[in-house]
Amino acid sequence: MSRLRNTRSRIAAGGRGLARFMAVTGCLWATFFAHGVVAECGTVDPLPGFESSYARGWGIDQRNTRYQPRSTIDSGNAAKLTLKWAYGLASTTPRSYPLVTEDTIFLGDGGRGLVALERETGCERWVYEHEGPISSTILQGWIGKRRILIFNDRNDGMFAIDAVDGEFIWHATVEDEPAPWYSGSPLLLGDTVILPVSSKEVGYAVNPIYGCCTTSGGMAAFDIKTGAKLWYIPTIEAIAQPTERHWLFVQEYGPSGAPVWAAPSYDAKRGLIFFGTGQNYSHPTTETSDSIFAVVAKTGEVRWVRQFTANDAYTAACNLEALNHPNCPDPTGPDVDFGAATMLVKSKAGRELVIAGQKSADAHAMDPETGEVVWTQKLGRGGIIGGVHWGMAANESLGLVYVPISDKKIVGFSSPGEPTPGLYALDIETGERRWKYSRGSRCPDLECVFGFSAAIIASNDIVVAGSMDGILEVIAAESGKRLWSHDSWRDYRSVNNVVTSGGAFDAHGAMIADDLLLVSSGYSYVGQQRGGNAFLVFQIGVDDEQ
Amino acid sequence: MMSSELLLAGRFRRLVATLVDAVLVPALALLLLTITDVMEDADDYANVGLMMLWVFLLAVVAYVILNGYTLWRRGQTLGKWVMGIAIVPASSLLYDSAKNDGDEHQRAYVPAPFVPAPFVPAPLWKLIFIRALFFPLLFMAVVPWVALLPVLDQALIFGKRRRCLHDLVAGTVVVRV
Repeated sequence: MSRLRNTRSRIAAGGRGLARFMAVTGCLWATFFAHGVVAECGTVDPLPGFESSYARGWGIDQRNTRYQPRSTIDSGNAAKLTLKWAYGLASTTPRSYPLVTEDTIFLGDGGRGLVALERETGCERWVYEHEGPISSTILQGWIGKRRILIFNDRNDGMFAIDAVDGEFIWHATVEDEPAPWYSGSPLLLGDTVILPVSSKEVGYAVNPIYGCCTTSGGMAAFDIKTGAKLWYIPTIEAIAQPTERHWLFVQEYGPSGAPVWAAPSYDAKRGLIFFGTGQNYSHPTTETSDSIFAVVAKTGEVRWVRQFTANDAYTAACNLEALNHPNCPDPTGPDVDFGAATMLVKSKAGRELVIAGQKSADAHAMDPETGEVVWTQKLGRGGIIGGVHWGMAANESLGLVYVPISDKKIVGFSSPGEPTPGLYALDIETGERRWKYSRGSRCPDLECVFGFSAAIIASNDIVVAGSMDGILEVIAAESGKRLWSHDSWRDYRSVNNVVTSGGAFDAHGAMIADDLLLVSSGYSYVGQQRGGNAFLVFQIGVDDEQ
Repeated sequence: MMSSELLLAGRFRRLVATLVDAVLVPALALLLLTITDVMEDADDYANVGLMMLWVFLLAVVAYVILNGYTLWRRGQTLGKWVMGIAIVPASSLLYDSAKNDGDEHQRAYVPAPFVPAPFVPAPLWKLIFIRALFFPLLFMAVVPWVALLPVLDQALIFGKRRRCLHDLVAGTVVVRV
């Protein structure tokens, strides 16, 4: 049964009391305190267009370069970016990456569902109701002649719905693991959907009577037609065995962990996908944690694995350092996952390299054929939310890869060394540093700490990066000079008339399409950052408040 | 039976008694959870609903193990036993403000838990199936908005007869013994 509702039917149905209250409150708030252009959302055609798409997945292309070739935004006009409209999300921790077509923006709105917004106005075409946290990019694909949308519910797996009428088609989960977490965006390769698998045990371990840990991260492939599993590979092949006990009764297990947090990148020439893993959750540690995997996309056969940090065992229990938590592995590792997506890029000289950014603040380049390390650059101090946290970008025509460094300190957790947050441009071929962009904090509070945790995006001769202190910036790709910025610590008048405010930039980061720059503002998932619920669309040359 | 001589329990004694119960019951529940392995591995979390049901049931078991007998025989939880107060039917207390000031009624009383009480405790079924249902609310005080419920429950103790909401619902009153 379809759970899709268009705007008119929602109004006709009367809506929910709370929604009405919020809408009225939002209107009053917006009228008195906020500024901006608000569209009058009358009758909206519920049918989205699909002739043109601006991304083939989380990485814009399947190699995860995060380079948008279909854009008119460049260093010459970036200063003319102005707010076109703002949409108020239901979540204060937005964690979905939009799919943009010629007239529609599809976006997951945590706890509410998948919304299809008219690109020009931000008005809702329809809402596919879904209670769980939609946490991925929105993919589009085909089943025969039927166009579909695919997305992750972080807790509940992957869903496919009809892109036109919202009819539910299938729901896929990974039954091989008892506690899968679907944080990484899926990747569509022909009729196969590749799905990264993490593990919730990293959080379960906070419970001191939990016997940490038995599960592994992994990568799975599903048939796009049915959602049936084609293959699954765990990142730890060994079955966890009992190890020690704590508190007399609680049995511990290992090895475990090595979760996969991010979308894989695809090497069409070799038929390989590349992805990184996180740390182990318990001892004994494995040779596959904090590693890069190369896997045959069709079969799941592992071609090579390159480990960068050995003996890294860590769980969320370690964040409660003062409690001497029994589920914090001893010895405790530095927690330096590969949380960011790997990318396959080509240098100006034509050399292909797999580049991976690590929470240790290292960027590594590898030979895609063998996994041999070509260069490594240490760019910061690193920490439990990076170093490199969500994702990098590349501009192959300039021969540069851009590495955002967070280096954020978390209260109660030791972070030895000096933080050096900022955006770094490295030569793809050599790893040589070309420039660094950085700036100071806007206030002494922790939520003001400057640093780039969110993934970034590149286009033409610009790079777009949003920082944890709520400032979105366009930076010149060749020089590292700031061209434009927007402070999102403010209220917005939203097209859907809900109270809307910005916050920290984090997670999937910004999207670019033609003359539009789209981004979610607000992210309170990691402590000490300002939440917000604004989905912002900027456009070149539109006059408004700013 | 002695009802007119019973004195209302002081608020401080009740507070301390509640704190003692709020420590002892979760401690035993934690021990039971640890021994029974109901939330010890990822498979348990795969069915969170069932796991939480087990957690709740084991917490009830812990409550009954610790307090069942003394509630039945003396209208006391362990915390109330320690603090020398007990739960009796509201009808058994003929409130006499004049006697509340008499020192002779404030004398220390060392209760013996396994000796029947020298007063009539509130019926066990009321203590378990009505009054005890409010006990878990104490632990919701950390949840926004829901925290209003335990606050409301406890706030009524500042009334003249020092009856919390759970006393009013169960028809009980807490007295010195």
